[in-house]
Order: sequence, then C-alpha cells, then structure tokens
Amino acid sequence: MSTALINTDDEQLEPTLQSILDQRSLRWIFVGGKGGVGKTTTSCSLAIQLAKVRRSVLLISTDPAHNLSDAFSQKFGKEARLVTGFENLSAMEIDPNGSIQELMGQADEGEGPAAGMGGMMQDLAFAIPGIDEAMSFAEVLKQVKSLSYETIVFDTAPTGHTLRFLQFPSVLEKALAKVSQLSTQFGPMLNGILGANGGLPNGANLSEMMEKLESVRETITEVNTQFKDENLTTFVCVCIPEFLSLYETERMIQELAGFHIDTHCIVVNQLLFPKRESECDQCNARRRMQKKYLKEIEELYEEFNVVKMPLLVEEVRGVDRLRTFSEMLITPYVPPAGGL
Amino acid sequence: MPSILVLVFILQLVIHLINTFGAVTINNILWRIYNQLPTPASKTVAGQRQLKKQLLKLKQELDATSSQNEFAKWAKLKRQHDKMLEQYEKSKSSLESTQKTFDSTISALRWLGTNGLRMLLQFWFQKQPMYWIPKGWVPYYAEWLLSFPRAPLGSVSIQVWSVACLAMITLVSDALVAAVALAVGINAQGDEIQAKEKGNGEPMTMSASTEKVKEL
Repeated sequence: MSTALINTDDEQLEPTLQSILDQRSLRWIFVGGKGGVGKTTTSCSLAIQLAKVRRSVLLISTDPAHNLSDAFSQKFGKEARLVTGFENLSAMEIDPNGSIQELMGQADEGEGPAAGMGGMMQDLAFAIPGIDEAMSFAEVLKQVKSLSYETIVFDTAPTGHTLRFLQFPSVLEKALAKVSQLSTQFGPMLNGILGANGGLPNGANLSEMMEKLESVRETITEVNTQFKDENLTTFVCVCIPEFLSLYETERMIQELAGFHIDTHCIVVNQLLFPKRESECDQCNARRRMQKKYLKEIEELYEEFNVVKMPLLVEEVRGVDRLRTFSEMLITPYVPPAGGL
Repeated sequence: MPSILVLVFILQLVIHLINTFGAVTINNILWRIYNQLPTPASKTVAGQRQLKKQLLKLKQELDATSSQNEFAKWAKLKRQHDKMLEQYEKSKSSLESTQKTFDSTISALRWLGTNGLRMLLQFWFQKQPMYWIPKGWVPYYAEWLLSFPRAPLGSVSIQVWSVACLAMITLVSDALVAAVALAVGINAQGDEIQAKEKGNGEPMTMSASTEKVKEL
C-alpha cells in the first residue's frame, strides 16, 4: 500500500512513518532533536505503532531527565518492564552518567565488565574520554541482545548529547585500539619490570586487564558497525517549525551523515491549525511563521519523509492519548478546512 | 689549467649567493617556477586556487543569505560550503606534503651541486697545481702554505685557491652591500629633509588660502 502511495506522488515522499514500520530489518531506531520539541511523545508513539506490527518492542530512554514515566504515567526503571495495556511493548530508563559509578561499584565487588581491573588501572581506563557512557551503552546493548527484542526505540537526550553519545563508539574504538597496541608492544617489557606474574599494584594483572579492555572494544566495534548499517539502524529527527530547532536539525542531519548513520524521517511537531474564524492573533501569527518554516523544510528535505503533527489542546500523557496521537504518525492529520 | 680556476671561482660565487639569499627563499622561488611548468603539482595548485575562489564566493553568498528568512537556501549553501571547505583542506594538506618532498629533493640536489661538487673537485684536483708562482717570490714556508695540502711545492693548491676566491667574493659583496646601504640611507635622509621642508611650507599655503578667504 505504501509503495503505491509513494508512486502516486513523485515530488514528495509520503508524510508518514509508514516506511519505518515496513522496514522489518530495522533493529535500532533513534529518536532525537532539540529539547522540548516532543521527542519523548514521538518515540512513545512510534513504539506504540511498532508494537502493532512487530513481535516485541523495547523503548529505552537515555535522557537523564527521564520522561517515559511521565508520558505513560507509569514508573520505569533500569530493568525493562511491560507497559500497561501492551503485551509486546516494554520500556526502561537508563542514566548514561549514573551507571558508571555502578560499574565501578560492581568492579570492587568482583563482578561486571570492569571487574579485575585494579584501582589504578581502572582509573586510568576510565580516564579515556567518553568511556563511561560508551561502557554503559555497551552494557545496555548486551542486556538488550540477551532479551531478544525485535526492535529497540531509543528516546535520546537533546541534540548535543545525542551526537556525543553516537560518537563514542568511534572515539573509544580508536583509544582502545591504541591501548591494546601499546600493550602488545610494551607488554613483555612491562611484565619484565613488574615481575614474572605481571602483577600490578592492587593485585591486578596486566594481561587480564588487557583482555577485558579488548572484549569491551569488541562489543563497541560491533555496536558501531550495527549503527552504521542503514538496514539495521535509522534516526528519526524531531523538530518544531522554528528557526533554532531547524538549525539544530540541519546540523544534526549533517553530523549523522558524517557518522554514516542513516536518517530519512523528520517529524515536525506542534503545528498550529487555527480555525477559519479564529480570533486569536497570536495563533494566526504563529501559524504564518510556522508555514514559512514548513515551506523551507519541504524544500530542503525533499528526500525525507516529513511527518506533520498538530499541537493538541491537551497534554499527550497516558496510554490512550498516546495511542490516538500515534495514529497521526501513520495517517496524516487533516487540518480543519478553511484555516489559514 | 684556467678552466678549473674559473670553475672553482664560479662555484664559490654560487655558494656565497645561495647563503646570502637564503636556501628557503630559493626553494620558494623554485617551487613557484616548478608550479608554472606543466607538472601534476601545478594542476593541483591551480585547482586549489580555483577552489579557494569558489569558497570565498560561496562564503560571501552565505553571508548575504539570511538564515532566518531563507533557511532552505542557506542550509543548502552551508552544505556546499562545508563540503568544499573539507575538499580544500584536503587538497591543501596534500599540496603541503608535495611541497615538502620537493623542498627536500631540491635541498639535496643543491647540496650535491655546490658543496658536494666543491668537495669532489678539491679531492680530485688536490695533487694538481692551479698555477705556478715564480721561484723566489715568497719564502719557503709561504710556498709550503700555498701548496697545502698536497699540491707540488711552488704551486697554488685548489684548496688555497678556493679560500682565496671566497675571501675575495666576501670582500666584494660586503663592499657592495655597504655601498647600497649608504646610497639608500642618503636617499632616505634626502626624503626626510624634503618632507621637513614640505612641512614647513604647509602653513604658508594655508595662510595664503586663509588670505584668499578673507579677500572673498
């Protein structure tokens, strides 16, 4: 059906997220944009729609300001939990900054991926920029893999943070590759200095630690290749028709292209559709401004699916409202006739 | 053997000139000449110049476009600009590395052509007299010194001839530099004096003009 729709309109791609639903191979879907443009609402809605056509869907929030609990009016934690009213939609909230402390704590108790690194070397390893977030990311991905969800939707933190997050695998891979190269080159010498059993201060073992780092690197490399595969991963940009949001979106799209991460959907949120006889000057003025930027978006992002979502009169909270809202991602909203 | 005499002199002159103008300047001049020739590097240089021109034009256009009013146009220009900038940086760095290789090659060749050649000549003709001095002109120890290290006694060795050439060239060049500096200094002083005279003259003209105004 969707292909037919595309064929009927040569100039613009269909203004829905149907293509994401249809692309069965997609495993990771990121939803990102500037703060306050409705990322969480969009990701929740997308997850709800995906749950209709996929076996199982997991919604993960990596935003330190967790909004999933708010959106669904249900408490979520670090463990995946079913959303009430769904059989195949789960959600979890992770804190990329907080989990590193936990990781360290685990290491002290002798478990988790960082276990076995002595205190000093642990500090050294965690001094590599971005390793904390990447480690927690890797940890989450490992968990997610074992849970065997068909599709995972990431509700990411505001723009800058998102990009940093996505950049980590490559940064870290480089850093770790250097470390392991050094260790193979100087390892024997170091071991010679350190003694026959290669013991480091605090009872750590050099070769063991290097093995651990190597395994972390492998996980991250795998994640990296998965994210760069357009059949597996896509990024949905959410924006509002305003200059700054548009600017950030453009920057994000260019940066994503730099990371070779596929993106072909833009959700334009919070569109105003005043009625014909509306007396609200502010609404009409805003509508005019939004129209201007909408035109620019359509001109600039010809090869994108641009989804237009209206601003509702009520807050989109709770499963029922989200369900209604999510329908508009698939069937375009028809504004009231005769409006501006 | 006059040809070797002249050759040594020319060689010393060339070495002196290179030292005076500086190896870097000469390398740069040669690089510029090299880029005028139909070489692959000259193509890159031309391409880069073109790219820089386009980049500047694009930047101007970008600055002239309002990002708020024509976002789509602005963003498209920006994409183009960023892409071109990247290309430019890439070609620039590749060109720089080419220039580095060129410089090192030229330096090596220059050394071979000057100091290398000088050493070779001095080695090759060490036993050969440059010319003979009449017997009895200078005492024995001076004769020995002039033929140092291996030329036959009573002749001038190539080493001594080189040193003599160098000394002469240095003297003449110093004298020339001093003469030029003197001439330029005198000229500058003259200009200063002229300027001062002009400065003195100015109030005169001004007063004349004020007088004119008064008359009017």
